[in-house]
Formats: sequence, structure tokens, C-alpha cells
Amino acid sequence: MKKLKDYLPWICYFVFFLGILLVNPGTHYIHLVARVIIFSLYAVAFNLLYGTTGLVSFGHALFYGIGAYITGMLVKATGPEYFLLFIVLGAAGAAFVSFFIGLLTLRLTGIYFTMLTLAFAQLAWGLTFKLYHFTGGDDGIQAIAKPAMLTGGVTKYYLFSFVVVAICMYILWRIRRSPFGSVLNCIRQNPQRITFLGLNVYKNQLKAFVISAFFAGVAGGLYAGLDGSIHPDMLHWPTSGNAILMATIGGMGTFFGPVIGAGILTGLEEIVGKYTEYWSFSIGVVVLIVVLLFPRGVLGIKRLAGNKNKEEKETEVVCNS
Amino acid sequence: MSVILEIKNLDKHFGGIHVTNHVNISVKKGEMSAIIGPNGAGKTTFFNLITGFIPSDDGSVVYEDRDITKERPEKIVKLGMVRAFQVSSLFLEETVFDNVYLAALSNFRKNAKIFADRMAFKDAREHTAFILEKIGLFHCKDLKASELSHGDTKILDIAIALTLNPKILLLDEPTAGMAPDERIKMMHLLKELHEFFQLTTIFIEHDMDMVFGIAETIRVLVQGQLIAEGPPDYIRQHETVIEAYLGKEVL
Repeated sequence: MKKLKDYLPWICYFVFFLGILLVNPGTHYIHLVARVIIFSLYAVAFNLLYGTTGLVSFGHALFYGIGAYITGMLVKATGPEYFLLFIVLGAAGAAFVSFFIGLLTLRLTGIYFTMLTLAFAQLAWGLTFKLYHFTGGDDGIQAIAKPAMLTGGVTKYYLFSFVVVAICMYILWRIRRSPFGSVLNCIRQNPQRITFLGLNVYKNQLKAFVISAFFAGVAGGLYAGLDGSIHPDMLHWPTSGNAILMATIGGMGTFFGPVIGAGILTGLEEIVGKYTEYWSFSIGVVVLIVVLLFPRGVLGIKRLAGNKNKEEKETEVVCNS
Repeated sequence: MSVILEIKNLDKHFGGIHVTNHVNISVKKGEMSAIIGPNGAGKTTFFNLITGFIPSDDGSVVYEDRDITKERPEKIVKLGMVRAFQVSSLFLEETVFDNVYLAALSNFRKNAKIFADRMAFKDAREHTAFILEKIGLFHCKDLKASELSHGDTKILDIAIALTLNPKILLLDEPTAGMAPDERIKMMHLLKELHEFFQLTTIFIEHDMDMVFGIAETIRVLVQGQLIAEGPPDYIRQHETVIEAYLGKEVL
């Protein structure tokens, strides 16, 4: 019974994203949902830091961007045959950079950590702008080819993204439920106690930082293939902010919450964006509603209701024998 | 009895305040000892220094013939010197079981496993159940730590420390904020645990019934200085201690 409950979100996940293909709403919408899939990996990877470990990184666009740029540049340089390998290399590049950034930024806590991650990401964004001959400057990189297998119709790339993301999500899910995941979750609650359990807070945070950056890099690499073009905005701070928004709206305390958040954010851009260029205004409204009414995010609503019942039953639990 | 912990000339300043003033202490293996002293005497700072949580300015801490003065706190825990806190330091969103279970994972060096299911470790599960049973919290293992009464949070804090298989257990005011009957229960519990796990226990305490009830050695800290050290009967009659801390009317 418990097993089924654990796997229920996975079943919903598969039914929804594969069901879309059966419904076949047209190229435009499949492309849109492909973006949701890729963003959701970015958001779930970010949430390992944010919701689980309690580290508010405001520079995750950097790792997303590195993944995208390495993948894009390798395809441009050598051709698209080894696309999947390039995505892995992009992610490895993101992880490599994150190790050194983590080494420095994790020395700080709270808002200082947040600001320093932002500073590094903005630095990288500035560099991609300036280094025109290397990164293409504000033109970005255009016409990134896909391997023959994945060309012709968006459905193939949709399926490819879905499979890659599902594998990554499963790995992240296993990590969250491992002893290491428990340690991360408890670092957020009480880092001092973790130290006095004989565990090194800094090392564990650094591991989480690198893992999170790796999977954000995978998402970036996948995005490079989706549109076939990348641009410096992928490294700009709103991209980092989107990760925080997606996780917060969906529910940072849950594993699948950020997936919902990715769906809401992309959906708002699509629906409200049709009527006004000020569509991001609607995100503000949604964030306000979520923060004020369900502080645990959309997927956190159920849990909140459950807790209330419990409190009514027994206000103070006396458990001394 | 052999000496398990040798503290020599330990010294610490916070700005202009001399919080630990050239303290020399040697703790015998298996001893149950208390540290007493007025508020601000530097008792908790003393624990913070010997557990490596804050660096000392001078002096050395030798544990089982090994200099641990400059060791990191998590390393000192792994070596067997473990503490519980004045204000219970728990993982409030987790259940009682999970609070102890995480310590058990650390104890069996399973905490870094990255793909295994966290509940997959039988030794850690059994150890957790054993500790909870021993300390009397097993029947509320599924409650969240935030739902416990104050007294139980203190007991859970000690349970977490015990799970780490300590040789030396440092307790910072185990009865702080407890009702009188809870204090007596805690006193008996500590004595029982001390004997059962063959611990060396050092506790900071303000409750004199408990201090004189179970401590074999009492050390008195006043303004960072160790002013007296000895068995309860000796401390009870020590002129300076009476003047500085105990007061005449208490005894």
C-alpha cells in the first residue's frame, strides 16, 4: 500500500506526459510541453539545493547556461551525431564549474551565499555577452542541429527529452530518499546538530551543489536542442529567479512540486502572453496567492490539510511513560 | 582509573572577557562528574571549546592520549566525545524515530550512501529501536519531534547523542526547564544510562539535588576559572564555593 502511494506521483507523471502525445494537440503544444519537461528537470534539480538542503542559490542559471552553451558549441564544432554525449559533457562542465563556485560560496550562509551565487552567475552572463567570437555574444548560437534520429517533427525530440528527464528525475528521486538525502534534508532543519552527529555540513552541501548543477546542466543541454538556438538570457538572473519561482509555486517541500511549478510558469506565459506583453505580471499575482494562501506550494496543500486535522485531534501530546 | 580526558591550561577570550581562564581538568574514565557555577561562568563555552565547536586561544585537550585541540567538531564526535544541548537540538520536522535513525546512519557510516533507500539498513534500524526502547521513547517513535513535550525533547536529544556510541557524554543542563518530578526521573535515567553504556559523563547543571545526588566529582567554574574540584562532601563545605555560588542558606 505504501509502495503504491510512493509511486503514485510517478504514475501521474508518466500518464500526463505520455498521454499528451496520444491526445496530440498539435506541434505548438507539444513543443510547449517539451519546454515544461525540460524546465521541470531544471527546477527539480534546483530544489535539491533549495527545498531539501535549504540553500537559496540565486545563480543556478549559470549551470543551466553552461550545459546549454557547451552542448551547443560542441554540436556547432563537430556536428550533431553525438548529441547525447554532448549533453552529458555539458552537464559535466556545469558540475566542474559548480565545484569551484560551491567551494567559495558555501563558506557563506544565508543571504550572503545567495548574493555571491548571483554575482558569479551575472559575471558569466556578462562574459557570454562580451566574448563575441567565442560565445556569439548577444546573438547566442543559432541553428544547432539535431542528430538525424531526432529530426523531423517535434514529437521525436519530445520523447527523447522525456526519456532523458525521466531518468534524471529518477536518479534525483533516489538521491532524495537515500541516507545522503536525509542528511541534506536535516542540514536545512538544523546544521549545528548535523555537525554533532559527526557529519561535515560543508562537504555535504558541496556534494548537493555539484549534483544539482549537473542536472541543471542536463536541462540546459536539452533546451539547446529543443529550439536549436541559445542566447545569453539563459544565464541571466531571471532564469535563476524562475527556478526559485517554479519550486516555490509548486511546493519546495515536495519532490514533484517543481514540476507543477514549471507547468504553471510556462502555462501562464503561453496563456496570458497571448493577450498582453506584461504577462509576467500574472506570475506576481500567482506567487502572491501561493505565498499567502498555501505557503507550502501547490503540492503542499494536501499535506497542510492533513496537518490541521492532526492538530485538532491532539493539541499537546504527552508521551512520557 | 585511567584518565580519558586531559585538559591543560585551556584559555579563551571573547573580546575583553576572559571566559575560560587557564583551566586544567583531568577526567577519569567511567566517572560521573558535574560542572556547576553561576550564569555566565563559561560552562557552555567550556563544552564548546573541548568539542571543537569554537577554537581555543591557548592550551590543549587530550582525549585517549590523542591531541584533539585543533580537530574539527565532527571528527571529535566520531572519536567518541558526544554532546547533548541545553536547548534541545533536534530535527523538528522529522519523527522521533528518524531523529535517532539519522544518528544511527552516521554511527554505522551509512550516511554518504547516495542511491540506497535510507531505510534499507537493518543494523541502523535495530540500533535505533534499541536506543529508543532503552531511553523510553519507543512508544512515541512516530510522533514528530515538534510534537513532543519539553521534557521529552531533552530525552530525545540525549537519545541522539547515545546513538553515536559515545565514550564521553557531555550534557548541557539536562534538566533545564523541567518540572521537579521530571528532574528526578531524568536523574535516575542518567544514572542508569551511565552505568549501562559504561560512559564517562560530564554534565552542567543548576539543580543541586541532582548534582549532589549523582555526581562523583564536582567542578566549580566561576568567571572562567576552576575554583574547586572534588567529591560532593568536599565541595559542600568549600568556603570559596559557598561564597561564590552555593550560598549559605541552600545547604
